[in-house]
Amino acid sequence: MPSSRMRTAEGRIVCNEGHGGIFYRLEAALPDPVGFVPGQFAMVSGWPGNDPLLPRPLAIFRSAAGPKGKGTVEFVYKVVGRGTALLSGLHPGAPLSLTLPLGRGFDLGKEGRLYWLVGGGVGFSSVFPAAAALARKRADFEMFLGSRTRDQLPPKEWTPGGTAPGRLHLCTEDGTAGFFGRVTDAVTERMGLLSASEASRLTILSCGPWEMLKELALGAANRGVEMQAALESHMACGFGVCWGCVVALREDEKTAYRRVCKEGPVFDAREVVW
Amino acid sequence: MKPDLSVTLGSLRLRNPVMSASGTFGYGLEFAPFYDISRLGAIVVKGLSLAPTHGNPPGRIVETASGMLNAIGLQNIGVERFIEDVAPRLADAGATFAANIYGRTVEEYEEVARRLSGLPSLAAIEVNASCPNVKEGGIAFGSSPEGVSRLTGRVRNATDKPVWVKLSPNVSDIGSVAQAAEGAGADAVSLVNTLVGMAVDHRTRRPKLSNVTGGLSGPAIKPVALRMVWEACKRVKIPVIGIGGIQTAADALEFLLVGASAVQVGTANFRNPGVCVEILEGIEAFLREERLSGIGEYRGKLAL
Ligand SMILES: Cc1cc2nc3c(=O)[nH]c(=O)nc-3n(C[C@H](O)[C@H](O)[C@H](O)COP(=O)(O)OP(=O)(O)OC[C@H]3O[C@@H](n4cnc5c(N)ncnc54)[C@H](O)[C@@H]3O)c2cc1C
Ligand SMILES: Cc1cc2nc3c(=O)[nH]c(=O)nc-3n(C[C@H](O)[C@H](O)[C@H](O)COP(=O)(O)O)c2cc1C
Ligand code: FES
Repeated sequence: MPSSRMRTAEGRIVCNEGHGGIFYRLEAALPDPVGFVPGQFAMVSGWPGNDPLLPRPLAIFRSAAGPKGKGTVEFVYKVVGRGTALLSGLHPGAPLSLTLPLGRGFDLGKEGRLYWLVGGGVGFSSVFPAAAALARKRADFEMFLGSRTRDQLPPKEWTPGGTAPGRLHLCTEDGTAGFFGRVTDAVTERMGLLSASEASRLTILSCGPWEMLKELALGAANRGVEMQAALESHMACGFGVCWGCVVALREDEKTAYRRVCKEGPVFDAREVVW
Repeated sequence: MKPDLSVTLGSLRLRNPVMSASGTFGYGLEFAPFYDISRLGAIVVKGLSLAPTHGNPPGRIVETASGMLNAIGLQNIGVERFIEDVAPRLADAGATFAANIYGRTVEEYEEVARRLSGLPSLAAIEVNASCPNVKEGGIAFGSSPEGVSRLTGRVRNATDKPVWVKLSPNVSDIGSVAQAAEGAGADAVSLVNTLVGMAVDHRTRRPKLSNVTGGLSGPAIKPVALRMVWEACKRVKIPVIGIGGIQTAADALEFLLVGASAVQVGTANFRNPGVCVEILEGIEAFLREERLSGIGEYRGKLAL
């Protein structure tokens, strides 16, 4: 049984290659397999030296049990700065330092619900594991993926849950693939077509840029749709000891700062002060 | 023969010189999944205030060259919840622990110290005399020998626990500030806290921290910290606890070499949650390798 206990692990890179020019898939061998809830993440480092000093948070994309009780874990990432650039330069065989699994993932526990999974940009990295889990449970779900242009959509072979008709909706801001426009517009438009009883059965699971999540959250709140949002934040530790990563949440009548790495990264969208 | 790792800080004997630094180790229990937290010389918990504190708005941390800036604003659960919920569990785990405290006024410091005094399992109180937001009569406590002396004296009288005074590096003469703490009855001084710094974005033209300025920590500050610890050690007879940028056993040994009696490890815990134990094991290995019977044979033996 893969253990979902938080631990540090020295991994070894098995594969770290670019896909479609913008996403990298990083696979590492681990001493033992990792169990995780979709939306949970790891703190990852591997470059030598002290600069950058801090590890980087990456959503756990997949994990598997390997031979002889060992395991593997996979991440997908986009190069946006120094840390991810250094990560992209690491070769198979190189060590990778990991702390995982971290945070609170998506709640997929409820029976009889309809799920819409919404991923913006590299946000598909936490949405795909949720899709895979829902597909295994034969739950009812659809997936909306948005990007600026066709080349920035995730490679087809990574898309879980099969290609049942009506299941996958691609959106590009320049109209080069799928729906012409932003993924928020596509989702809001579809939400507008739902009956009240359909809306009450729907849960949106989402990950992407703050502005996208904010707009979705407002749209969902208007239609009485439940939404779980996986947030990002700058992190130092990733396991709840520095209080650096907080986001403002509404609690009763007050707001409180809660840690994205511990109480999140997945939050009930109605509680977030957007 | 197994070298003797134990150290004494005044009346207090610690099993080894490696402690966690306040604010980088949560309340200690968070590290129990990684190793047996009773192995540490001591755990110093997040700064505690009289009432729970919300802290600063986000934009609390920024990474800098070999370091980081933080402006957490001392978000914490408050001293009462620490006493009720956390301290018993630390005691059950067999951990030696100290409480870092801060207040907005001297009276608040006194009150927090008084409440903690009733905790039999508490090893010491570390007074954060280096919070830039804490003012009295217009003088930040930590920035002058007079301020440190007054604060130390008042906390000293409020508790029977050993009092460690944590000093700010943002002063021109660290030796005088350390002496002021000693004169007012501190059992030890710990230094350094973070160095005040700043980061801005040249494109958005905005500061990167909501608080505009923040505290610099990590390997970037180690040379400054080492120099200040060395200076303080020359000026006081009470034990000095060395802090600042320690990531390896060699770093920790350097602080002991210039005279520190013990060390605290802060930011390094973020990148490697197991680092304190690695440092501890590294120190033991070094003593063996050098055929030293204990820390005492090495501490303060800088060859000038
Ligand atoms: C829980 C969680 C899961 C994540 N999962 C993934 C993932 O699966 N794949 C992936 O590609 N990325 C993911 N990210 C984002 C990823 O951590 C950042 O892109 C990465 O830390 C950037 O590091 P860098 O050194 O390359 O960039 P930096 O040089 O640190 O920054 C480059 C630019 O990105 C911005 N930035 C940096 N970190 C963040 C952040 N956390 N949130 C928003 N903006 C940021 C900076 O402000 C700057 O403008 C996740 C973040 C979190 C918090
Ligand atoms: C995120 C963070 C929070 C901190 N909070 C406190 C605190 O509450 N009280 C305190 O006395 N020092 C606090 N510090 C300072 C550290 O205890 C330590 O003195 C400083 O970081 C230098 O050591 P380092 O370079 O090993 O981190 C904090 C440091 C960091 C990075
Ligand atoms: S990143 Fe340290 S508490 Fe969340």
